[in-house]
Amino acid sequence: MSQENAQSVLNAEPLSDADQQIDDAINKEYSAGFVSNIESDTLEAGLSEDVIRFISGKKNEPEWMLEWRLKAYHQWLEMEEPEWAHVDYPKIDFNEISYYSAPKSMADGPKSLDEVDPDLIATYNKLGIPLHEQQMLAGVAVDAVFDSVSVATTFRENLKEAGVIFCPISEAVHEYPDLVKKYLASVVPVKDNYYAALNCAVFSDGSFVYIPKGVKCPMELSTYFRINEAKTGQFERTLIIAEEGSEVSYLEGCTAPMRDENQLHAAVVELVCLDGAKIKYSTVQNWYPGDAEGKGGIYNFVTKRGIAHTNSRISWTQVETGSAVTWKYPSCVLKGDNSVGEFYSVALTNNYQQADTGTKMIHIGKNTRSTIISKGISAGKSSNAYRGLVRFNAGADGARNFTQCDSLLIGSECAAHTFPYIESKNPKAIIEHEATTSKVSEDQLYLCQQRGIDAEKAVSMIVNGFCKDVFKELPMEFAVEAGKLLEVSLEGSVG
Amino acid sequence: MTSTPLHAAIAAGSTLNSRTATSHATTKIADMQNAAAHAWAQTPWPTRTTEAWKYTPLKALEKGEHFTPAAKNTLTSDALKPFEINRLEALTLVFIDGHFCAEQSDDLTQLPTGMTIEHLSDASDLGQFNKAAGEHATLFGELNTASIDAALVISVAKNAQVIQPVRVLNIASANKPCLANARILWQQAPHSKATLVEHFVSTQGSHTFTNSITELFVGENAECEHYRLHLEDEANLHIGGVYSHVHKHARLNSFYLAMGANLQRVDVVTQFEGEGAEAVNNGVYLPRNKQLVDFHTCIEHKVPHCNSHETFRGIIGDSARAVFNGRIHIHKDAQKTLAELSNKNLLTSNKAEVNTKPELEIYADDVRCAHGATIAELDALAMHYLRTRGIGQAEAQVMLSFGFINELIEQLNNAAIVEYLRPVIAQRFANKSELLDSLTNNALI
Repeated sequence: MSQENAQSVLNAEPLSDADQQIDDAINKEYSAGFVSNIESDTLEAGLSEDVIRFISGKKNEPEWMLEWRLKAYHQWLEMEEPEWAHVDYPKIDFNEISYYSAPKSMADGPKSLDEVDPDLIATYNKLGIPLHEQQMLAGVAVDAVFDSVSVATTFRENLKEAGVIFCPISEAVHEYPDLVKKYLASVVPVKDNYYAALNCAVFSDGSFVYIPKGVKCPMELSTYFRINEAKTGQFERTLIIAEEGSEVSYLEGCTAPMRDENQLHAAVVELVCLDGAKIKYSTVQNWYPGDAEGKGGIYNFVTKRGIAHTNSRISWTQVETGSAVTWKYPSCVLKGDNSVGEFYSVALTNNYQQADTGTKMIHIGKNTRSTIISKGISAGKSSNAYRGLVRFNAGADGARNFTQCDSLLIGSECAAHTFPYIESKNPKAIIEHEATTSKVSEDQLYLCQQRGIDAEKAVSMIVNGFCKDVFKELPMEFAVEAGKLLEVSLEGSVG
Repeated sequence: MTSTPLHAAIAAGSTLNSRTATSHATTKIADMQNAAAHAWAQTPWPTRTTEAWKYTPLKALEKGEHFTPAAKNTLTSDALKPFEINRLEALTLVFIDGHFCAEQSDDLTQLPTGMTIEHLSDASDLGQFNKAAGEHATLFGELNTASIDAALVISVAKNAQVIQPVRVLNIASANKPCLANARILWQQAPHSKATLVEHFVSTQGSHTFTNSITELFVGENAECEHYRLHLEDEANLHIGGVYSHVHKHARLNSFYLAMGANLQRVDVVTQFEGEGAEAVNNGVYLPRNKQLVDFHTCIEHKVPHCNSHETFRGIIGDSARAVFNGRIHIHKDAQKTLAELSNKNLLTSNKAEVNTKPELEIYADDVRCAHGATIAELDALAMHYLRTRGIGQAEAQVMLSFGFINELIEQLNNAAIVEYLRPVIAQRFANKSELLDSLTNNALI
């Protein structure tokens, strides 16, 4: 074969067009990566007792809260950074991080939305968060957390009528100290893990939700988190208490600007689901994942856990597309009889992203049931691990678990792992676990292309189909957003 | 952890080193032993926070009394009778507490064509000794290498088709706690075919801690049939490893049975060294009373186009515990891999416990991998069906339990082994003799 011929054969390779599109798609920028020019009060980097006193002081916290934080800080000092996760990143210097940053105009405290810095509102608009009540998608109440403080909480009046409390946790400390004292760290103890302890010491804000007995929350509650300042860490704390027979659906979304250095996000979320209550917690996590060379991005080290009492139900749904490193295991402690835990997850990693995520289902009560559906997609040079624990204690008669974790590999340089820990001490409990790993089927791809759908679109369709079981668990607006996010993050990683 | 057992074991290792080096090979062995003794001393003792030993406490060993090297013991031919496997017609090599026992073994001068058996210390070269085990060295692997006493090298020549199975009978017989290191190096040259049966048993009143390592090298296009049967009494302890290299287009078919020993841990590492190879690792574990069985298996898919299949099933009763860790590791270039793993467990008592972890670690995209794990009690529907046919509760339970395990036994290629195992396993479930007979006979049909 002459050289010319050889060249033409190469050119005729069926996917080369698609490759081009794919490259274009990969180069698509992180759309939430802008920086807002907002003057802010940022504490100097470093962590000490004084920093904690400063944060506590800024929030006018009562003495008990400060003491609690200091105790947590001292416990944290004695703990060691966990290294068991299947992720690899340079050691974090906790003295390089600033632990508090607040937009300056917040210092006087806005009384209503009209007083909020217009730039800030513009930022949220840019992100597509319908902060203004008039612009809201029907019935979504938003608590927006910007760097370290809660900026605005919408629809508070409407919620109050129903008896629902939805406010920044810094406010709850003042207004509902009994509830906070009773439930804070009741699900995730201070010493639970390294990052949880750190969060206890320095958390600056977050959301507090209280649903009274028998109340079905009239609207979806939602929080948006955004890290804006450079070299700051974000440590938010969410506490949701659903009293007997109540119901709530809570959504959470996150973004950050594009920066070269890595930033730390270590949140704690606690759910208290009392007898017969239902909590549905959905997350779309789109922190800045770093650039194509793996530079920058957010370290997302999050502890999320719920306690389910008798006949209650906790449902975690997460779509994880962002962050350079993710370390996150939303868990359910199924303490009460007949309680139900669910975990639906889509985790997508591209470029140099690393994710070690999964769940823990601890079955303590009788006839407790749990379902785990995890879909991992790895592309580029990323690494995506599912790590889960299903434990049946001796008293968990009639308990059931079904776990399915599927991984999809796109490209020959990525990695997918599954580490499920399954422990049973009860012969009357039934556990089923299955996992599969495969690549995007060439047959499916071929079929789509044959029907005139280009490779990029076809992959997106196939991946969306792969994640269908999880997306259908998301509230409608989020499902649409999640689908789009996947498209942007992934499109065309097929070569 | 006190340093007593460590010191004792190192001492055991170093006495061996004092052996005068008579050839190049023995010098090499001495070097290897020194290095291993050093590594053993350096490796921290496993605790609950050691991932590989998370669910398997080593309390029984921590007293240190199990680290006294086992003395040479002899047994009469009559004492060996109960350990025979009828109709297997194997070439039998007998080890008593880790010491090779030539008198009770078959004549090594009359071996099947193509097979050679020699002591490691007499071997002209070390061949592939410690090549597979060394790559995945564990604390106890180092201990074994540090004190290799009677390691045997069994080699099968190129193109040799050895029909007669080789049975390595390891008998635990010491009446005081002691350490028996057992070591086999099994090498098959290209295009050969052979069968290895590792048979671990014990005499009454024995308290041996067996620390065994078997290395299997299956050459290009070779076929290896491997059985490892753990049938020791509950007063014994066993920690062992089977490390294999499977070369191009070769096939390894392994079966593990764990019914004995109070603490039993087996590390199985199967590594593909050439394309187009296949490995099957199946196993059954039936711990009862206070036994603990721990299987840590790992399939290293280092090269493309290899298939691996793994099925482990267990029934855990009384206060027994089972640990299963099944890892499939697909390396970066191992495209077109097919790997499957299944682990099913039946818990039959409130005090029994099972911890299973099927792991996938995948660095190549064009692969198909699947694993599944279940833990449950006997299927209520199947139970009901049997009851409607007039079968009593207890009997139905036995039938279903036996059936669950027998599915794997029936798949074995060697009829003599199947015949040998069926009553052994049936006995675990059925106390009544008529039930036992019916099980054994029905299964025969």
